[in-house]
Amino acid sequence: MSGLIQVLNNSLLSQDAVIKATFYPIAFLTLFFAFLVVMSRSIFHSVIYLAFTLIGIAGIYLYLDAEFLAIVQVLIYVGAIVTLFIFTIMLTTQADTEPIRGTVRRMWAGALAGFAIFLILSKVITMTTWHIGLPEAAFVNLRELGRSLMSKYALPFEVISLISLAALVGVIVIGRGRKR
Amino acid sequence: MIPQSHFLILSALLFSIGVFGILTRKNAIGILMSIELILNAANINLITFGKFLGSPDGLGQIFALFVIAIAAASAVVGLGLVISIYRNAKTILVNKLNLMKW
Repeated sequence: MSGLIQVLNNSLLSQDAVIKATFYPIAFLTLFFAFLVVMSRSIFHSVIYLAFTLIGIAGIYLYLDAEFLAIVQVLIYVGAIVTLFIFTIMLTTQADTEPIRGTVRRMWAGALAGFAIFLILSKVITMTTWHIGLPEAAFVNLRELGRSLMSKYALPFEVISLISLAALVGVIVIGRGRKR
Repeated sequence: MIPQSHFLILSALLFSIGVFGILTRKNAIGILMSIELILNAANINLITFGKFLGSPDGLGQIFALFVIAIAAASAVVGLGLVISIYRNAKTILVNKLNLMKW
């Protein structure tokens, strides 16, 4: 983002206006694709929309000065997890004729629950007074991130590698099935 | 600058969409996709707080990295389970998987 900001500083537009003019369309598109993920009838379309949603969230990370997270998001989510979803759908779905959605009553119950949760969360967010005014001090570059990941948070980092190993071995055991 | 509350509202909306998806999807893969949406909403929250409340060593981003790693592991195990269930029950629609229902 800082390189982009420097480019914008040299241009005629003010950087604040550009950030505002680009953030809200990206946020809206992300939410739109997320809605399509849960609403589309075909599960395969759903996973394609999920990929777009995740790319949009990577764009949101850029506005939060988290460039590394944006790259990791695209690499791991869009590159690996979405591919995995597509493979699983191809292995398990017989045809598109299967009913994906539940009854109308279940739809209403789900919509009500989701809307209630959003109402509570937005009420809490708007009621709380947040600390503002220290965004510049909180800027974390990649060097700092890597250093603290390798020194102060080295133990959780190693635990993550252990969890990945457990998932790897576990999914092989689960996926192989019974020996014949 | 974009205010902090707008990021939080965005994340709350994503979370609600994920909850709606979990409650209404019949396909097990669809439920797993909704869980991914919810985890991403949590990540946006973590990074927002890390940026605006100011953590000295990037704790918000590190936490989000860990969440991404756990989400990858959970997606792998969940999809492995889905394949295993499909092999045994020949369906992944959760309303037909009532083998353990009393």
